[in-house]
Amino acid sequence: MSEDIVLDIRKDYVLSKLREGERIDGRKFNEYRPIEIRTGLIEKAEGSALVKIGNTQVIVGIKMQPGEPFPDTPDKGVIITNAELVPLASPTFEPGPPDENSIELARVVDRGIRESEAIDLNKLCIEEGKKVWLVFIDIHAIDDDGNLMDASALAAISALLNTRVPAEKFGLGDDYPLPVRDLPVAVTSLIIEDKVIVDPCKDEENASKNFITITTDSNDNIVAIQKSGSYLLTEEKFYEVIDLSIEKAREIRKLLKEV
Amino acid sequence: MASEDVKRLKGEIKLIVDGKRLDGRAFDELRPIKIEAGVLKRADGSCYLEMGKNKVVAAVYGPREVHPRHLQDPIKAVVRYRYNMAPFSVEERKRPGPDRRSIEISKVSREALEAVIMKELFPRCGIDVFVEVLQADAGSRTACLNAASVALVDAGVPMRGMISSVAVAKVEGHLVLDPTKEEDFYGEADIPFAFFIRNDKIESIALLQMDGRVTKSELMEALQMAKKGALEIYRMQKEAIKSRYIIEEADENE
Amino acid sequence: MRSIVLPGELLATNPKVAGSGTYVENGKVYAKVLGLLDKTDTSVRVIPLRGRYIPSIGDIVIGIVREITANGWVVDINSPYQGFLPIQENPEMKPDKKPNEVLDIDDIIITKIINIDPKMKVTLTMKDKMCRAIRFGRVVAINPARVPRVIGKKGSMIKLLKSELGVQIIVGKNGLIWISGDRRKVNIAEEAIYIIEAEAHTEGLTDRITEFIKKRKGELNGQ
Repeated sequence: MSEDIVLDIRKDYVLSKLREGERIDGRKFNEYRPIEIRTGLIEKAEGSALVKIGNTQVIVGIKMQPGEPFPDTPDKGVIITNAELVPLASPTFEPGPPDENSIELARVVDRGIRESEAIDLNKLCIEEGKKVWLVFIDIHAIDDDGNLMDASALAAISALLNTRVPAEKFGLGDDYPLPVRDLPVAVTSLIIEDKVIVDPCKDEENASKNFITITTDSNDNIVAIQKSGSYLLTEEKFYEVIDLSIEKAREIRKLLKEV
Repeated sequence: MASEDVKRLKGEIKLIVDGKRLDGRAFDELRPIKIEAGVLKRADGSCYLEMGKNKVVAAVYGPREVHPRHLQDPIKAVVRYRYNMAPFSVEERKRPGPDRRSIEISKVSREALEAVIMKELFPRCGIDVFVEVLQADAGSRTACLNAASVALVDAGVPMRGMISSVAVAKVEGHLVLDPTKEEDFYGEADIPFAFFIRNDKIESIALLQMDGRVTKSELMEALQMAKKGALEIYRMQKEAIKSRYIIEEADENE
Repeated sequence: MRSIVLPGELLATNPKVAGSGTYVENGKVYAKVLGLLDKTDTSVRVIPLRGRYIPSIGDIVIGIVREITANGWVVDINSPYQGFLPIQENPEMKPDKKPNEVLDIDDIIITKIINIDPKMKVTLTMKDKMCRAIRFGRVVAINPARVPRVIGKKGSMIKLLKSELGVQIIVGKNGLIWISGDRRKVNIAEEAIYIIEAEAHTEGLTDRITEFIKKRKGELNGQ
């Protein structure tokens, strides 16, 4: 495909620069591209956010409605996370049901939110055993220039911070802001040859498919890890990545505090 | 909303009050429109467009290779159009994926564009148009087609001219341009149009559907109203495309 | 200042003056792509601002080998259409060698288009002094529509880059450009090319590029 030739040429360039200790866009190995967060852009949704990391763009919309709880947790609300890697976002995305990449992305973002207990599901009970709030987190990729994972996770938590529970619509009282009590942040690194670079752009992703994503909460606890790609991770690199992820997550969390 | 449905049936909600529409517009007035070309990095051409509360983004990829081989047309390009609504784009969350309505909209929209894209210049290729509705409010298909037309031009795809689209509804006996959700839902007819426009002139109709009941003379009147609206939209589309380049020049002179 | 035209804009009423980027209908000449209008007394054409590279006979292009067959190499030329380089069109091919020993998958080559059939099957050759396999240097990718500006009127822009920086440059019509020479000068050339790409449709570009190169060279010497 004609798209490939440009990426293939840049692949060699990515590798040769890395061997000299540099990245093609001049960033340091532990540096993110500029991050922009915008919330409330979809007024009809209960919450929404657009996150840009460099040229990568992801929109997350939050919809809420009353529904049935799971039988084994009759007094807890339900979170449903889905990701659409729509063909609009990249020349390589095909129309169709979610593939393994969309599913992995959605599940990792979901894990970060669930395990950090960012939303207190106990507070989303309407009538025990019968009615609870369902929270739909829908991730919509718009432009894939690398690291959709972190952009999606950041957009998800930003959208939740922006969410108002639509109680009035369902005759359940006044609308109120969804209580969010933690700020999970995902940090994805790419492993190329023996180097670890954070927030890979598309050209870099094309040179290596070896990722590791680590999500931490506001107390620097690790709440989700996903090693993605058929490679072997050394223990040494693993510790390096954990420290890096905690550090970067702290920086990104500062942006969330302004949301 | 249920209580409002009941009120409507009882005739208590009026959509036209004192000769004006609920949102204050005149009968032949468009909703506010915002158009921005070239908003995506990966796509060959793209456009973000708002029409009232509709928020859509269109991307064009192509001409590009078609896979698998057996889908290629040896003498011209194959055009694909995919209209898709984000789950959070509507009041009640929509399950992801195409439904029957999206498939029908995709078909008629594709056909409108196919009539003006110079497909014969690209045998065996594909030209893909993908439009995502981020927020919907009646007329999302017309908003999408307007965005798609801009994205195609932005991608450098050769076309005979542009496509501009707008709907007309009949509400309490009156024809209104670019209906809102309430007007569409409670009205007596909904007529989406798209026109092939060249050199500031409407040449012909590229898309036409009708749902409801109108007389022949109402239909003729609706056509004239839509033509006027489409020409206004065409000017905004042109402006959005050209301004991408003029702005760069302005920076130069500073 | 050249004006920007959109598909469907009426450019002339004399079909004889219709040039590239236009089409004729009912005796009228219309623009068919988004581009810059270039109007003279004898011709009206539109220079596209965007668009994929569509191969044309005689074009020098840079491509990457994707497949090896018994008869030659399938080459990706950054276009919806692939190219094919037959064995007999590669001067490095000798009777005792196998095709993959001469050119292997992922090799990058500078090649020339010698034929395009009605189904858009593109045939390539390497029998031209510009053609070669690329083993060193850097390949840069830009929007193919901007290539004419990188070359410049009668090659003026590319001559400027070559003489000011002392680098070798071969510009593929398909938007791929090969630069070779001192690494720091190659970096400057690459930056300059991206500036030309971004500002292709503006005036005074040649002067600005000259300025830019002088400034960068000055910085190098100051180190």
